[in-house]
Amino acid sequence: MTPNSFSHYILNIFSEIGSLILFLKEVLITSIKYPSSRQQILEQIWQVTMQSVSTTSMAGFFVGAIMAIQFAMQMSEFGAIGYLGGLTTSGTIREVGPLLIAFLLSGKIGAYTSAELGTMRVTEQIDAIRCLGANPIQELIVPRFIAIVISSFFLLGAGLIMSVFGGALMGYLFAGVSYEQYVRYIPSLITLPSIISGTFKSFVFAFILGSICTYQGYKTTGGAKGVGRSVVNTAVLTMMCIVVADWITSTLSDLILKMITETIH
Amino acid sequence: MDVASPSLELKNVDVHFRGEPILSAINLQIQPGERVSIIGPSGQGKSVLLKTLAGLIIPTRGHVFIQGCDWHHTPKDTKIPLLKNLGMLFQKNALFDSLSCGENIAFPLREVNHLPEEDIQKLVAYFLEAVAIPHAKNLYPDEISGGMQKRLGIARALALDPQILFYDDPTAGLDPITSRKIVDLICELQKKKNSTLVAITNDMNRAYQMSDRILMVVDQAVLEAGSPQSIRSNQDPRIQQFINGKLSGPLTVMA
Repeated sequence: MTPNSFSHYILNIFSEIGSLILFLKEVLITSIKYPSSRQQILEQIWQVTMQSVSTTSMAGFFVGAIMAIQFAMQMSEFGAIGYLGGLTTSGTIREVGPLLIAFLLSGKIGAYTSAELGTMRVTEQIDAIRCLGANPIQELIVPRFIAIVISSFFLLGAGLIMSVFGGALMGYLFAGVSYEQYVRYIPSLITLPSIISGTFKSFVFAFILGSICTYQGYKTTGGAKGVGRSVVNTAVLTMMCIVVADWITSTLSDLILKMITETIH
Repeated sequence: MDVASPSLELKNVDVHFRGEPILSAINLQIQPGERVSIIGPSGQGKSVLLKTLAGLIIPTRGHVFIQGCDWHHTPKDTKIPLLKNLGMLFQKNALFDSLSCGENIAFPLREVNHLPEEDIQKLVAYFLEAVAIPHAKNLYPDEISGGMQKRLGIARALALDPQILFYDDPTAGLDPITSRKIVDLICELQKKKNSTLVAITNDMNRAYQMSDRILMVVDQAVLEAGSPQSIRSNQDPRIQQFINGKLSGPLTVMA
């Protein structure tokens, strides 16, 4: 890479970030000034949730199962097997759950949304909406954006419930932990801060996904190849941004938790 | 709307794509009720001109006026009521492929005019009847023929009863008889409403049929080719080459 092309590359990144910020500003202003119809939003929430609930539930079940197997081996050595359910569920709600849901949504809903919007863009359907006196941001972007954010909470819930079942089943099969024993310490180990941390992460990841997939789809150019490029960009960028955001939110929640603990003591 | 102002106006408009000039220093006025056809060789910027006139492309330089409103220097809120006055048929129709034909027409009526459902269904039936495809109401755009898709596109463009209509090559890919029927329909509907009509076409017979004035886009400029009656006496060799379909002449023939 020559210095010239490198500087061009860097410039392009900043230009894209600027363009994304302006897009989000337009989405925010439109959602306040010209709110989308409730029916459109509910339809999108239903669509996103129904499209992903089976995948996230199944993934949640196996994550719970995997974590239970991994923890069971270590915990039985220390005679703390009774805490298996609490620890597994706490880990899922704080870290694995939101991250997993975000990755699955990125692959499924993110790719689907950017392909759908990208195709509408290259076939001039978005221009047609604008020519018919309607606002494409209000009609297409805002309902999808809101739906992704809201659905991620439902999907997180579904994934968590299934992770408890998966963990309980593996706990019973591999460590002889009864279901009652498994769920006994869940309420005491899942604290309010861990629920807040998990839901906050889920919100941040869904916001990132909603921003990137709608932006990539809406700004698609270059026909079928352009649609393909938008889908790939959505998948790669959301994964990267979600991992970075996970690190930032984890560090922040850790700091906040420490501050709260120090204040209490 | 300013009554004295033209329906559409371009003032010193330049349009560049990735630094490449497509249109340069365009000055153009189209009066209310006027029927204008845009002709010209492929790749010279006819669709760019049409979309610039419709406010879909932001020019690199200059001003676009739609019904007297400086389009790209006016707040969005002011433009929203004016958008209802515009209708467009896209070259590839741009029909909403996830909606049925009836729903394609219902879309602007529901989302823009917020009409009651009963009125919407009456209007959908009326427009489908007007373009002679009443049987296609529950079919999807990919289940009907190219000619029917054009008709549906026209019906959707007319749904909001616009004062200005843009047609991007309304007869592209259609057989001569269907082309004739489509243009007859366009002219009939234009007469009824006395709307302003701007259409791209490469079919000279259709251009003569549906225009008061013909413009030619070539070499980044817009030439006044004249009326259907006077175009044959235009002295510009590019216009003569184009309307007579000659291979030799100043226009570059694209393979």
